[in-house]
Amino acid sequence: MTSVITTNSLTKKYKEKTVVDHLDLKVPAGSIYGFLGPNGAGKSTTLKLLLGLIKPTEGQISILGKEVNLKNRLEILTQTGSLIESPAYYGHLSGKENLQIICTLKDVPEQEIDRVLKIVRMKEQKHKKVSHYSLGMKQRLGLAAALLGNPKILLLDEPTNGLDPAGIQEMRELICSLPRKYGMTIIVSSHLLSEIDQMATHVGIIDKGQLIFQDRLSSLHEHSRSRIFLRTDQDVAAMNILKQSEIPAEWREGTLCLQIYEDDFVIKAVSTLVNSGIGVYRITEQQMSLEDIFLHLTGKQVSL
Amino acid sequence: MNVAFIRELHSEQKKARHKKIWLVPLVFLLFEMLWMLWQLSKASLNELANGYFMLFYHLPIMNTILLPIMIAVIASRLCDMEIKGDTLKLLYTMQKSSRFFDCKFLCGLKYLFFFTIGHGIMILLCDRMYHFKASLDIPMFVAYLAVTFCVSAVLFVIQQMLSLISNSQIMPLVIGLAGSFLGLFSLFFPAPIARLIIWGYFAAFPCVQMNWERATRMIEYYKVPFSLYEFLTFLAVGIFIYILCKRIVVRKEV
Repeated sequence: MTSVITTNSLTKKYKEKTVVDHLDLKVPAGSIYGFLGPNGAGKSTTLKLLLGLIKPTEGQISILGKEVNLKNRLEILTQTGSLIESPAYYGHLSGKENLQIICTLKDVPEQEIDRVLKIVRMKEQKHKKVSHYSLGMKQRLGLAAALLGNPKILLLDEPTNGLDPAGIQEMRELICSLPRKYGMTIIVSSHLLSEIDQMATHVGIIDKGQLIFQDRLSSLHEHSRSRIFLRTDQDVAAMNILKQSEIPAEWREGTLCLQIYEDDFVIKAVSTLVNSGIGVYRITEQQMSLEDIFLHLTGKQVSL
Repeated sequence: MNVAFIRELHSEQKKARHKKIWLVPLVFLLFEMLWMLWQLSKASLNELANGYFMLFYHLPIMNTILLPIMIAVIASRLCDMEIKGDTLKLLYTMQKSSRFFDCKFLCGLKYLFFFTIGHGIMILLCDRMYHFKASLDIPMFVAYLAVTFCVSAVLFVIQQMLSLISNSQIMPLVIGLAGSFLGLFSLFFPAPIARLIIWGYFAAFPCVQMNWERATRMIEYYKVPFSLYEFLTFLAVGIFIYILCKRIVVRKEV
C-alpha cells in the first residue's frame, strides 16, 4: 500500500524542548490513520507541521509523493482539508457565507457548498449565524469546510473534542464513511484510545514527541497478549513454590499471575502447585486490552 | 496583481459582511463635520474670509485626537473576527500569511480612503455653507488629504499588527487611545521628540500656520510651504514600518 504522507526524521524544537522528535510517519492511501497519544505528546504540533503552519527544525515531509517546501506548500495543500484543534469560523456570518469564503480562497465553485453541507447533514442550518451554532454544529461546519474541493487527504485534530456522546457518534460515523465513499485518506488525532479503536484502520502512537508504534490497528491488537491468573487456596505459598521451581510469576491486581503464557508452562505451573499440596481453584486467561497495551507502550494512563 | 491575489482580496470583502465597519468612519466623519460647523459658526468674519486656512490649521489637530481611535477601532473590527474565530490556522493552509496581511491591510485602507474622500467633501461643503471669500488652494487641499490618508495608513498597519498578534482586542484599542493622547501632547514637545511619536504626524506637515496677537486678540492664518522632503521621508519610514509589522505577524506561529 502506497503512503500518501511520509515524514522523515521530522523534528520540532522550541528552544531546548523537543516537541516532535525524529518522527517517521507513513500514512497509507485510503486509510483512516489514528494518531494517538496522551495530551501534550505532540499530535497537534505534528499535524501543524504537516500543514506547514509551523516550520520543522529538522526533517522532511512528503505529501502525495511530493516533498513539501515553502514554494509548493500551498499547491500541495489544495489536495488536503484540515480541521485543527477547535473549529475555525466567522461567527457573524452564516454557515453558507463561511463556506463561500473558503470556496473563494480554494477557488472552488460555490455549488460545492450544498454537496458538503449534505455530507455533514447541515443543509437546514446553512442560513443560521455560526455564532448561534452548537459546538457540534461548528465542528461539522469545520468538516464541511475541509471537504470543499474534494481533497484527497483530511487532517482532523481531535474532531470529537467537546462534543456530546450523540455528536461524537455522529462525527465518528461521518469520518468512517469518507474513505469508503470518496476514497479519501484521513489522519485523525485523538487521546482517546477507544475512539481510535472504533475508527482507524492504521494507528500511530506518539509519546513525548516520539513515534512508539505505527502499524495496522489489527497489528496493535495482536500485541494484546494473554495473561494467566491462578487462584489457589494458599496464594503466598504458591508464589514461593513457583519461584523455587523457576516458573516466572508476579502479583497482578492482587492475584497470582504467570509471566509466561505458553501451554507447557501453564501445565508445569499447575502440576507443580498441585504436587506441592496447593489447591488450585481457578485458572483464568485474560486478554491484554488496548488500554493495557497503550499503558505498556507509553507508561501513561490513557483516557477512556 | 494576479488572479489569486484578487480572489484573496475578495474573500476579505466577504468576511467584512454584516460587520457594518463603514459605520465607524462615518460616525467620526459626522463628528468632525459637526465640530467644524461649530468652529465656523463662532468664527469672525475675518476668519471666515480665510475659512479654508482656518480648517487646514485646525483639522490636523482634530485628526490627531480622533483618527488614532478610529483607526484602532477599524483594525480591531477587521482583525478580531480572525482571532475570535481562530481562523488563521485554516487560512494559512489556503493563502500565504504575508498575502493575508496585505489583503487585510488593503481592506482596511478602503475605509481610510473613503474617510479621506468624505473629509474632502466635508471641507467643500463647509465652503458651500459659509461662503469663504478666498478660493480653495488646490495643492494645499491635496497635500492635506494626502497627509491624512498616508499617516492613517501607517497607523493602521501598526494597529492591524497589534490586533492580529493579540488574543484580546483591549490592548490594541488602549494603544490606539493612548496614541491619540500622545499624539496631541507631541504637538507641544520639542521637534526632535515629537518626530518620534507617530500618532502626532497628522499635524507634522502643516500647510497653514497661525499668528495670534495678544494685544489685538486677532488670529491671522498664513500659508507655509509643504515640506515634501519630510513627507517623503515619512513615507519611506512608513514602508519600513509596514515591512516590520508584516514580519512580526508572519513569524507568529498559529
